[in-house]
Amino acid sequence: MRLSPHCEALLQEFIDLRPQLIQLDNKVFELLQTTMQQQGIELNSIEHRIKGVESLAGKLERKGEKYHSLSDITDLIGLRIVTFYTDDVDKVAAIVSQLFDIDWSNSVDKRKLHDFNSFGYNSLHYICQLHEGSIPFEIQIRTALQHTWSAIEHDIGYKGAVKLPPQYRRQFSRLAGMLELADDEFSRLRTTMTEYRRQIQTLVKSGNLSDVTLSTDSFRSYLELHPFERLNQRIAAVNQAELFPASLMPFLRVLEHFGMESLGDVQAMVDDLSDTAYQLALSQLAVTDLDILSESVGLQNLCVVYALKHGGGRDDVKMIYDTLYGANESNAILADAMIRQYKAIGQKQ
Amino acid sequence: MKTTFKEEEKNFVMYFEGRLDTAASAEVEKSMAPLYECSGHDIVLDCTALEYISSSGLRLFLGLLKAAKPKGSHVYLRNMNEDLRQVFAMTGFINLFEFI
Repeated sequence: MRLSPHCEALLQEFIDLRPQLIQLDNKVFELLQTTMQQQGIELNSIEHRIKGVESLAGKLERKGEKYHSLSDITDLIGLRIVTFYTDDVDKVAAIVSQLFDIDWSNSVDKRKLHDFNSFGYNSLHYICQLHEGSIPFEIQIRTALQHTWSAIEHDIGYKGAVKLPPQYRRQFSRLAGMLELADDEFSRLRTTMTEYRRQIQTLVKSGNLSDVTLSTDSFRSYLELHPFERLNQRIAAVNQAELFPASLMPFLRVLEHFGMESLGDVQAMVDDLSDTAYQLALSQLAVTDLDILSESVGLQNLCVVYALKHGGGRDDVKMIYDTLYGANESNAILADAMIRQYKAIGQKQ
Repeated sequence: MKTTFKEEEKNFVMYFEGRLDTAASAEVEKSMAPLYECSGHDIVLDCTALEYISSSGLRLFLGLLKAAKPKGSHVYLRNMNEDLRQVFAMTGFINLFEFI
């Protein structure tokens, strides 16, 4: 590789400057990482790198004379923020423009460069500096799908000396269009799901439980109302027991297995069967000195009572344990013991 | 109440023998100390010869589970008899542990 004396000088200056570039690169990376976390933006990744000596030498060889000084080369430090959602690209861009001074004349929004009928590389490129002044650095912002497209396009499109015929370029464009559509759909889906969760939370809070379909989201919102707390506390009072926190989400599968369709069905179980569930727990615990219980104790007893009240037998109670604890023949013995207790409190199977 | 600690095929195994009641729990807690150094190891609590477990015993097991989980270690309860398993079911703790 042959470089002019001017380019040789620039290259040497770059080599001398590397320690400072590494420092700046790390500073910008950490600032971005912390700020995105604080803003609650989940990212696919933030990549960062200092330009390699070889790579810069190549660039100088190709177009070195247009650079008067090293600060004219804006990608000595490069960072790439990869978002999951296309909506987040603009959000991240807004944050970046608050964090740093942007050189708007050299920054590019590649998304705006396409005509309405063309598809291809979509990414935001911002040339930035620290507010207090620094060597310029480049921040690229794109979605994970844009990133994938771009990486593959780079890998295939620029390999070798053979220029790709137009039909292959067109295939890349078609894929870019498809991914743009997919990006929009992911964003739309996220908005729809957020809206759905909000509606469910409102319905749960307003008490219209029979209007709420039983699902992972709705059951999670329902649990925030602590519907089993009163029963748990009654049971805990038997032995003045401490209640140990436990997730109740695994019970969702049991409730679905019972054929419950709405949160109203779950609430009806709580309203109608809590007394019997308490009696059942009492009959087991009163003869022990167990003074530590899991928060799942109330719902577990409710489920057993529900199964037996609805004509279920050993297999149905075993199903509860199999669902919660994993299939195991010992669960049949637990089911038998539960049924004995159930009969002992005067309940008919 | 007797406990024995062994390392078996990269697992930390503790054998319990007798009644794990309130009186025994302080001594057992001390003997369980090596289990807390479990990074990179799963823990097996062998209950083949465990005859009884009280709330104090449950607390020891739960305390160990709480310490082991963040380290990525599993806590397995091995060969627990049906009466003891029923205690775990009755209290709702059965789904916190893995039974083998």
